[in-house]
Amino acid sequence: MMRFVLSRLTHSLMVLFGVSLLTFAFLKLAPGDYFEQMRMNPQISPGEVAALRAAYGLDRSLPVTYLLWVKSVLRGNLGFSFAFNSPVWPLLKVRAANTLLLTLTALLGSWLLAVPWGVWAAARHGGWLDRVSSLVTASLLAIPDVLIALALLALALRTGWFPAGGMHSLAAESLGAAARWRDLVWHLALPVLALIAGLLPVQIWHVRSALLEVLDAPFIRAARGHGIPPGRLLFRHVLPVAANPLISLFGVSIGTLLSGSLLIEVVMSWPGIGPLLLQAILERDVYVVVAAVLCSTAFLVTGNLLADVLLHVVDPRIRAM
Amino acid sequence: MLSRPPALGAQSEDLLVTTGEAGRVGGRLVASWHSEPKTANPAIALDVVSKELITLLDADLIHINLATQRTEPALAKSWAVSDGGRRYVLELRQGLRFSDGQPFDADDVVFSFNLYLDPKVDSPQRDLLMVGGKPIKVLKLGPYRVEFDFAQPYAAAERIFDGVAILPRHLLEQDYENGKINQAWAISSAPGSIAGLGPFRLKQYVPGQQVVLERNPNYWKVDAARHRLPYLDEIVFLIVPTEDAEVIRFEAGDLDLLEKVGADNYALLEREGGAHGYRLFNLGPGMEYDFLFFNLNDLSAKHLPEIVRKQEWFRRREFRQAVSLAIDREAIVRLVYRGNATPIWTQVTPGNKMWVDEAIPHPARSLEKALELLRLGGFTRRADGTLTDSQGAPVEFSILTNPSNAQRSKMATLIQRDLSQLGMRVNLVSMEFQALMARAFDSYDYEATLLGLVSGDADPNPEINVWTSTGGTHVWALAEVHPLPPWQTELDSLMQSQTALLDFAARKAAYDRVQQIVAEEDPVICLVSPNVLAATKAGLEGLEPSVMRNYLLWNADRLYWR
Amino acid sequence: MKLKFALLGLALIHVLVLGAGFLAPYDPAEQNRDFPFAPPMALHLVDTQGHFHLRPFAYAQIYHPESSAAVPYEIDRSRMIPVHFFVKLAAEGGMGQSGEWRLFGVAPPHRLFLLGTDDFGRDQFSRLLYGGRVSLFAGLLATALSLALGLVLGGLAGFYASLPDHLIMGASELFMALPWIYLLFAVRAFLPLHLGAQESFFLLVGLIGLTGWARPSRLVRGVVLSARHRDYVLAARGFGASDFYLLRRHILPEALGVLLTQAALLIPQYILAEVTLSFLGLGVSEPAPSWGNMLADMQKLYVLESYWWMFAAGVALIPVFLLYHLLADALQQSP
Repeated sequence: MMRFVLSRLTHSLMVLFGVSLLTFAFLKLAPGDYFEQMRMNPQISPGEVAALRAAYGLDRSLPVTYLLWVKSVLRGNLGFSFAFNSPVWPLLKVRAANTLLLTLTALLGSWLLAVPWGVWAAARHGGWLDRVSSLVTASLLAIPDVLIALALLALALRTGWFPAGGMHSLAAESLGAAARWRDLVWHLALPVLALIAGLLPVQIWHVRSALLEVLDAPFIRAARGHGIPPGRLLFRHVLPVAANPLISLFGVSIGTLLSGSLLIEVVMSWPGIGPLLLQAILERDVYVVVAAVLCSTAFLVTGNLLADVLLHVVDPRIRAM
Repeated sequence: MLSRPPALGAQSEDLLVTTGEAGRVGGRLVASWHSEPKTANPAIALDVVSKELITLLDADLIHINLATQRTEPALAKSWAVSDGGRRYVLELRQGLRFSDGQPFDADDVVFSFNLYLDPKVDSPQRDLLMVGGKPIKVLKLGPYRVEFDFAQPYAAAERIFDGVAILPRHLLEQDYENGKINQAWAISSAPGSIAGLGPFRLKQYVPGQQVVLERNPNYWKVDAARHRLPYLDEIVFLIVPTEDAEVIRFEAGDLDLLEKVGADNYALLEREGGAHGYRLFNLGPGMEYDFLFFNLNDLSAKHLPEIVRKQEWFRRREFRQAVSLAIDREAIVRLVYRGNATPIWTQVTPGNKMWVDEAIPHPARSLEKALELLRLGGFTRRADGTLTDSQGAPVEFSILTNPSNAQRSKMATLIQRDLSQLGMRVNLVSMEFQALMARAFDSYDYEATLLGLVSGDADPNPEINVWTSTGGTHVWALAEVHPLPPWQTELDSLMQSQTALLDFAARKAAYDRVQQIVAEEDPVICLVSPNVLAATKAGLEGLEPSVMRNYLLWNADRLYWR
Repeated sequence: MKLKFALLGLALIHVLVLGAGFLAPYDPAEQNRDFPFAPPMALHLVDTQGHFHLRPFAYAQIYHPESSAAVPYEIDRSRMIPVHFFVKLAAEGGMGQSGEWRLFGVAPPHRLFLLGTDDFGRDQFSRLLYGGRVSLFAGLLATALSLALGLVLGGLAGFYASLPDHLIMGASELFMALPWIYLLFAVRAFLPLHLGAQESFFLLVGLIGLTGWARPSRLVRGVVLSARHRDYVLAARGFGASDFYLLRRHILPEALGVLLTQAALLIPQYILAEVTLSFLGLGVSEPAPSWGNMLADMQKLYVLESYWWMFAAGVALIPVFLLYHLLADALQQSP
């Protein structure tokens, strides 16, 4: 087990390395750089732009830039934001925490909903309730995330049940600890809902499909024939076997959450990595992008690692390897 | 309930007494920004948000009143001009204090200008402070008297001082001498380490969420009743990345004002506004304009044979004029801006009241005239309607837009249809903004592009780089072909000569001619100028909305809640 | 039964969009600038006097541009517009294909907007049919590409473990971690200024398909990993079965369920991914319609609040997704 985890860890480091290199390359190959936008300002001369480019090292080649960056990372410095004129890590730290709060809540919520929902749909397979469930999930799939977020905001505005964006009320600072928590949860509700609405159909379809597969298997049919009660059958025999693809999916979903939440954060003015990353990409604030992507990769790698360990624990056949 | 105004300081303070109704002291204003300000340091600020923050935190010597678009005294209470317009001697207000309580004098002014002019600092302000290719010379004549020397007489000299923030020497000298001025005053710095002469000072910055400003207790303006400005206790800027979210939060009551809102959302607010009691502001055409231009760069150094072939057409005046005549500007105004825009045929917008040339003709859309021009230019139409050039090749080109600007993308779709009626086949190519900029400014790999420009000032001087052939923003031909077309030579000399003309009428005549040339030769085809639209909650008073940025908050020191 | 129903339904939808040239009453790019955001027009058989007409008709709509109402149109019940079948298209100017046969239409200058119009006064019904061509086929092809890659790579990784597993899974994590959609603007820089309709289509399919293999491959790997230790697989190996035989005969069928569910899920995701790619100039460019572009229009507050018919593409997607779901279901159970 220990050896397995260790080998996975080195593997993860390699992935992080590859991701940083690719992100760098893509950004360097993309047309334009941070100072390009100044060209449209008639009050700044091209000479000035060139001087700024040189001062910030944007005139260096890709390998040189990358090596310098790796060196600075080894010294614990993730790079420098051109836009903010400050190191990247402090910028990222606060926002990463907000994003994690949002996405982990949504992940937890969506799985808590998806597993019973999917099991229930599989149990009533072919019945009209199963069809209604398919209709609901298919409809959710047909609505882009941004539209879901915007519609939820419009709903919040109409009903007044939820705040129309942001993470805190302006009055939050003067409140007591309990009230502040309530305020946070209240603000968290809509973005979490929007994220869940995006994740749910995928998860429900997977849960349902995995369960159907197992329910159809000969050993379950046999067990059913032997008169094992359905509840016991489900928990003792069906779920453990069906868990395998779901665990893989769980690992994957941690990593893709960030890209999923990016636009929702932007629409709902959630102060996470999303708005920062989006702007950094559009402005070519290279080091911010690289650091944010690394952050996201770290989530993903951790998620996959977790999933692999879980697979080990749950599925004895893999442990036998 | 009227709260007591803060007590006035010592009588030796040389305060500016403003006219107009006295307001009510106190209260908090909540506004929004699409992105966070990146810095509070005027020497490096580039983005509009940081610049807007700086106008609230800092003050300048001579200020442009955005309601009148004319200059007025600020930190300098008066000035004298001599040496044929080359020398300005400014008298500073005495006894003023920065927001941290430290006194202000001529040393701060000299320090600030030297800092902006220092080539090592690479301040984007530097180019602005170069006149006739040479930096302005700044001399301290006394503790409250400063002399500025220009290399040549400069028509817009007073306007140069607008927006040049005066920095506290006592806080920044150390950083400047250590070569660390660019790292100073990051937005995340301790609020106490930042001080200025503006109406507000930084109180709190919460990353990704909000920036809170509080009243500067030492501000140097008082109202007619001798109450010290500003009236508001606090201004909070929430970070709301999209306009749609801003509108929703405005309607939800989270935001007190929308400084600038698009025509579509404005119509939405107009419909729902009655019930909620908003105040909506339709300020008419602003300083922004959208235009289409063809690639007229000298491409001999690049390998772009296809575009070179099409430049044969683009360089024909008749071709550009025909395109301009065939574009349905009314449709753009109606379908893209819901009527909240004005068609234009030259670069100065009707919002620029002082400089616009009213005599520029407004030819109505005419396909017949356009086709006639094309015939004169050697183009013919095939039986199926396709337009062909003298070689028989069909006229087909692409227009580049950036999808992040919904208005311009829509315009392109309309133009495509308009030009198809001339038999031109137009392809739309959309690309995110940076990629578009790289093509327009570096690789010249484009055929035609739609862009928008905002004049930063009403005065023509900042436009010099747009209209002279060597200018950095001469977008349609950054690399000019030689010899220059005669009209470009004329533009060059007009733009150069107007900078030194001190007589307004003479300058206006020169700039009118520039507008005529642009309208006749269509180096860029000017399309429309959108109206500036804004909204506030009812009860916010003291507003003097301007068509220039910061539309509603430029006189934040005088805003108050009824 | 289920399988037949799903296949038939999908075939029908695809035939409908392929027949857009006949079924749609207008050219999808044709602008009616005097009818921006016109609401859908209902078809009637009975008029205001209660008379029954064999030929369906619609009432004319009057546009009030100066009105501040969200939908400034008024139905004029005194003007009936009869619908004709098998008519020749009369396109006005431009590059229209006048003279083409259409299933139905109304006599100009009247217009028939069954699903309303967009901001340029373009007929949404025609755009929906034409747009389906790009979206449905791009989604399908890209999914096929992703799944094929995912199956091969995931199968290899799961079956051989050790080095191939490390490499492939590393690459898959790399592919999943990179915010592809946002990095692809680099790709645009290497393409010619203008891309034709076909080039754009294959570019779309290629980019979406190639960047999407990682998730299916991981799922396949998970299944293969457990399948290869099942008794019958071990037994078959004991009898000297080749790797290829084992993969094909025993292991891949196990992965089928997961893959089919993936397919049913990827198609919707890919159809929507086109929205973002269009933003980078890698999608379908105006004025050509696609369901992704049509949905992108809906993502604006003023459209969402006022013009519900702009969601037509979303509604059209729901049966497509349901049918794919049903198909996956049916295929999973049949073997």
